[in-house]
Amino acid sequence: MTDRIVGCILLAIAIAYGITAGDYEARFGDPLGPAALPMMLAVPAALLSLALILKPDPDPAWVTGRPMLRQLAALVLLLGYAQFLETLGFLLATFIAVTLLGKLLRSTWLLSAASGAVMSVVLFVLFDQLLGLPLPLLPEFMG
Amino acid sequence: MDILSLLGQGFAVALTPTNLALAMFGCFIGTMIGALPGIGPVNGVAILIPVAFSLGLEPVSALIMLSCIYYGCMYGGRISSIMLNIPGDEPAIMTTLDGYPMAKAGKASQALAISALASFVGATFATIGLTLFAPMLAKAAIYFGPADYFALYVMAFATIGGVTGANPFKTLLAAFLGLMIASVGLDPATGTARYTFGSYHLYDGFDPIVAIVGLFAISEVLVYLEGVHKDEARSVPLGRAIPKFSEIFVGGWAHARGSVIGFLCGILPGAGASLGAFMSYIFERRWSDKNGTFGKGDPKGIVAPEAGNNAASGGALIPMLTLGVPGSGTTAVMLALLISLNIQPGPLLFEREPEMVWGLIASLYIANVVLLVMNIPMVGIFTRVLAMPQWILMPFVVMVSFLGIYSISHSTFDLFVMIGFGVLGYGLRKLDISLVPVILGLLLGADMENNLRRALSISGGDFSILLASPISVLLYVVTFAMLMLAFGFAYVGRRKARRAADGP
Amino acid sequence: MSLGSRIIGASIIASSLFALPAFAEECIAPADPGGGWDFTCRTAGKLLYDLQLVDEPVQVTNMPGGVGAVAWANVASRRADDASLIVATSTVGITEIAQGRYPSDASAMRWIGMLGTDVGVVVVPADSEYETLDQLVEQLNQDPASIAAAGSSGAGGWDHIRLLMLAEAGGLSSEEYQQIRWVQFDGGSPAVTQMLGGQVDVVTTDLGEIAGFVESGDIRILAAMSDEPIPAFPDAPTAIDQGYEVTGYNWRGFYTGGDVSDEAYDEWVATLEELYNTDEWKEAAESSGLIPVWRGGEEFETYVNEQAEQMAEISRQIGVIE
Repeated sequence: MTDRIVGCILLAIAIAYGITAGDYEARFGDPLGPAALPMMLAVPAALLSLALILKPDPDPAWVTGRPMLRQLAALVLLLGYAQFLETLGFLLATFIAVTLLGKLLRSTWLLSAASGAVMSVVLFVLFDQLLGLPLPLLPEFMG
Repeated sequence: MDILSLLGQGFAVALTPTNLALAMFGCFIGTMIGALPGIGPVNGVAILIPVAFSLGLEPVSALIMLSCIYYGCMYGGRISSIMLNIPGDEPAIMTTLDGYPMAKAGKASQALAISALASFVGATFATIGLTLFAPMLAKAAIYFGPADYFALYVMAFATIGGVTGANPFKTLLAAFLGLMIASVGLDPATGTARYTFGSYHLYDGFDPIVAIVGLFAISEVLVYLEGVHKDEARSVPLGRAIPKFSEIFVGGWAHARGSVIGFLCGILPGAGASLGAFMSYIFERRWSDKNGTFGKGDPKGIVAPEAGNNAASGGALIPMLTLGVPGSGTTAVMLALLISLNIQPGPLLFEREPEMVWGLIASLYIANVVLLVMNIPMVGIFTRVLAMPQWILMPFVVMVSFLGIYSISHSTFDLFVMIGFGVLGYGLRKLDISLVPVILGLLLGADMENNLRRALSISGGDFSILLASPISVLLYVVTFAMLMLAFGFAYVGRRKARRAADGP
Repeated sequence: MSLGSRIIGASIIASSLFALPAFAEECIAPADPGGGWDFTCRTAGKLLYDLQLVDEPVQVTNMPGGVGAVAWANVASRRADDASLIVATSTVGITEIAQGRYPSDASAMRWIGMLGTDVGVVVVPADSEYETLDQLVEQLNQDPASIAAAGSSGAGGWDHIRLLMLAEAGGLSSEEYQQIRWVQFDGGSPAVTQMLGGQVDVVTTDLGEIAGFVESGDIRILAAMSDEPIPAFPDAPTAIDQGYEVTGYNWRGFYTGGDVSDEAYDEWVATLEELYNTDEWKEAAESSGLIPVWRGGEEFETYVNEQAEQMAEISRQIGVIE
């Protein structure tokens, strides 16, 4: 069933991809133009999606319950890290993210916080100081 | 004789204490950068150029150090492929296929040692090729036109179905997914923005490194979280720390086959190390996978791509030095470095700067030996990584991945893209769709399209140009033969299975 | 655990050796490490500090995306008044602006100055039948579709436009010169090697990257698109000498945010002019194939605006934009 659903989604994407490609026109340029290859890709991609719908594999075991909640929490955490990295500054954001990730991975609060503190400092030194790749150190309101 | 005396002079340059120390430093740093997912050799070399400048090095010394970093990265990329199922750089994706299963079976140290040896053989083979034939090979590469490149990429994608043992429809679908992702961004031939939805961030398309880190590293975290509620989690047997001597030399002729194929891919500008690793793996699988052990931890499945990618990296130096045409992203950065050191790579380089060129070549030999010697004992250290508690290892991998991306592009947009690829990767893995073809499609798709369009621009739209050169005809014949061989094997295999089923 | 403590130990030792002071001035290279804009930032940044023209090392930040559009949008929206910031750009960036691919036009930024320029050249293989620009243009006049030309930019990019400018000066109408086959490669050297392999007839691109092929005698310059002959190749004829009033430079320079104060702007202009006047800069520029040329302040702003207009005009004529 999963394969069928994914096949339908991919089929829709392939069709949308091919139709969008039709709009790409260069008034000027090479004989093939920017639209040709995407259209050539869309057809076999759509056929392969159809094959997936018609001949699906057995369903994978999707997780449910607490493990799924953990996955969702991890995703929210990662998205939050990306969103607030510049606002919170590298040290604080990394400390929070590592601590919470550690907790999600079933460590204790104390150990997670310790690893968060160590890792944020180590990574800052490694990237900013050693490799010379500038990172925002402090929260925006302090900088 | 002439070459030997020049090489001798080169060793005289490379073996000064300063240069030797720099070579070792470069090898070590390179291995580390290669092993950290997200940074990759291109940025690894690029960010260390200022370090080379700030140390006030002679041009030869700076070049020796950076070439050793380059070779070191190629050695290092395999480490996280094997240990964590996360490729450290693009060419190392093929090594995940058999390297990680070996590590899971408790043979991590053996896999690391085998791949170190294969890297050594491949890189040494390429360095010898560079020594003996560089100017000649550069002349040959000139005659490889856009239509021939297109034929080469057709060959890669036509044989992609053989990359994993899983459902070939799904493998092909994954490749098309990668090709579709590759078409996002500004079209180089006309400047048309495709699938960017008005966002400037998408104008350059998806950076393969961002996609790799997302698909492999982030999805790994999600996969791991599935099992974390069970207390035993995923304990990996460590096996012995240092493998036995006889366990390392299991590759045999796979070393030679991988090296030759990789080297040939490397000297073609643009094709590069990823294609070298891929073609070597595919070829080796066709050649020696009699019992269906590839993809399940076959040592030859490590030897071939590692020999291939290192041979290709060495081969890529040939067009870079003799034509000034970079064969890969990393050689492009080294080219920029050479130019900023007031050395103009090109047809006159070997005549004008013999000391620099031969010093560099000699230092590549030294780098290979240093890397092999350094990597075998380091196997013990790296296998400990697996013994670290997951609540340290996983956040560390995730944070290094985030930083590797963010510190280069300073774009949180890239971080979101990476997370998106992570979710996609998780979904694909659950559906038993291999991630490797997605990356290959993304890596090679743009080049395939560009060369097709270049060929047709040259001919003014006449498709017969695709079959006009003997090189492309030969490539199509080989592709056809490989496909026939694959179908033949599949047919015989089915017959055998049916006979076994019909039997007692 | 042992690995972790080793990393920390190594970091502390190493950081005490290499520790860098805090940064003040920043230069954004709107491309990945290794390219021309990156080189401009890194070379200028390094010399500025080495020569003590600024007090602290210049921090180079790479901000790739959209041929400079991402950096442009970022500066315009978030750092328009940041006086410590300069951004590297070149004629390629102006082409993008002229063809409307940046979020705003050239007046949104303050243009500090240019420090050097690369020169466009028309080259053919050494054994080509074309000995002069006239012969090539004559062939183009007879049958524009008979020539396959190549360069490092796409159709409508600066390398292509330079060729079309020559064709126009040679009397071709826009219908005619649009028939010239154009092939894009990922740089000048790949274009030249493909030309040597017989794939295309002629290449127009910047001289810097391909000078080695001219010196080795593999290729011949039919025309240099500069006012004066190129110092490195004084024998190569300019297009102007052959009767085609066309130049095609690719300069390297810097801009800063549009709301930067006049004092800070003037200070940047003065600092960069000082840098331009040093022997170190001239040496660095020449070693990477650039001809040192200075335009700064108001003069440069006018120049940029004029160039953008001229480029838009050409792009309209050849049909790249409406």
